[in-house]
Amino acid sequence: MIEFVNVSLAFNSYTVLDRVSFKADFHERIAILGGSGEGKTTILRLILALIRPDEGNILIDGQDITELSESQLREHRMKFSVVFQEGALFDSMNVKENVAFCLREYTNLSEEKIDERVRELLKKLKIENAIHLMPEELSGGMQRRVAIARSMAECESRMMLYDEATTGLDPLTADNICTLIKDISEGVPPGRVGFIIVTHKVTDAIKIAERFLYLRNGKIAFDGDIAALYSVEDPEFRNFINELFVAEKCR
Amino acid sequence: MLVRYLIVKYPYDLMDIKKLVFRLQDFYILSIKSPFGSFRRPFYFREIIEQMDYMGTGSLFIVVLVSLFIGMALSLQISAELAEMGMKMYTGKIVGLVIIRELGPVSIALIFAGRVGSGVASELGSMMLGHQVDILRVHGVNPLKKLVTPRVISAILMLPVLTVIGDAVALFGGYFISTFVSHQSGSFYWSQIQDIMDFENIFAGLTKPFVFGYIIACVSCYMGLSTKGGASGLRSSTTTAVVISMTMIIVFDFLLTRILLYFLGANV
Repeated sequence: MIEFVNVSLAFNSYTVLDRVSFKADFHERIAILGGSGEGKTTILRLILALIRPDEGNILIDGQDITELSESQLREHRMKFSVVFQEGALFDSMNVKENVAFCLREYTNLSEEKIDERVRELLKKLKIENAIHLMPEELSGGMQRRVAIARSMAECESRMMLYDEATTGLDPLTADNICTLIKDISEGVPPGRVGFIIVTHKVTDAIKIAERFLYLRNGKIAFDGDIAALYSVEDPEFRNFINELFVAEKCR
Repeated sequence: MLVRYLIVKYPYDLMDIKKLVFRLQDFYILSIKSPFGSFRRPFYFREIIEQMDYMGTGSLFIVVLVSLFIGMALSLQISAELAEMGMKMYTGKIVGLVIIRELGPVSIALIFAGRVGSGVASELGSMMLGHQVDILRVHGVNPLKKLVTPRVISAILMLPVLTVIGDAVALFGGYFISTFVSHQSGSFYWSQIQDIMDFENIFAGLTKPFVFGYIIACVSCYMGLSTKGGASGLRSSTTTAVVISMTMIIVFDFLLTRILLYFLGANV
């Protein structure tokens, strides 16, 4: 269980999050929506304890992670896999080395076993031919796929975190990534590996998520499921998700 | 005016001072912890070898080229001055002393700061901006050990090696000028170089590169890892890394010279 309790954070004089509170289970499929600079990515970084809040508490499985030291946080971070915007691949390593990074760092698997696991993951994501390519030789969609493969190589993770996973991709590739995200999260709760996706593309979010949070002015202005999303009355949020209604009309 | 300052600007100034104190604290932690990271598991030997190759082999050509011309220019200047006093034959001794004790370590450290310092700061800076450092932390890898320690160790080891090579090439440049341009005896030049190759001079000349290498690596890694704000932030951190490294080399050169002269018992 992830629990934000009155979390506030400001960068200099700019308030990003203002007493934000919410709870989420590890098996949930959540989309955090909001405009640029509303603190969507900040929430992911707070969950991973890459930054600390100015005020409030963040409880993961009942443990307040804001009080843990960097060495204690290692175990906590292993509960999550993250795919950052643009993939965040190590540009000095090829695809295979990127995907194998965690396996080499933390397991005693032989090179053959690592190779086997990497090939299996790349095959699943349909990029096995790119195994020896460097990140700069990959397209945007392929980079995201490699980043997803790398995050999947971490066997212990209980939840996936996606930061703008479909931003900057053409509709077809974005659709493929959405399908992939959904496939990874297949299964029945509570055994399912859930995810939190941060995006401003409502149409992508609606394809994969079951719960939606909308951030505005540092606060959660909406928290509900898909039915609630369609019946939302707040004019500003309605305006934000307007593309959804346009798509519905076209259909 | 004062009231306005106290209410409006003072809190921000105070915040800036607080930020500066935190930055100094972070730099202190990085510079103290990074060399000791090599004594504890996990060991990143591959990264150290890669960095040694980048810093050492990669800088060799420019160090040799610059050192050769420094040696030649110095020899020209000194022999011209000494010729007026009829003491041209002492060119070798003065060139040797200046290069081994002072000019060699400082000039090569400055080249190193320009090439390696900027490279390290921009590489780590782009890793910060591209969330690669965050990925390391998420995977439970300590960025200080994985990224900083190999660079600090490599710089500490490679700068003295480059200095020895650079000094040798500069002395050869000096020999070339004093023999073929100033028409002095080559064997006399080398015998004078041999005379100044005592413990004091070699110790003084070789202590500095270790300290300079440590300073350049720590400053560059720190500036790289504190990069914020996209391309302009990267430009700023790279420039700052080089400027601070170079300034600190000059300042520490003076301090080390003073300390070494004191401990080696020289009369000033």
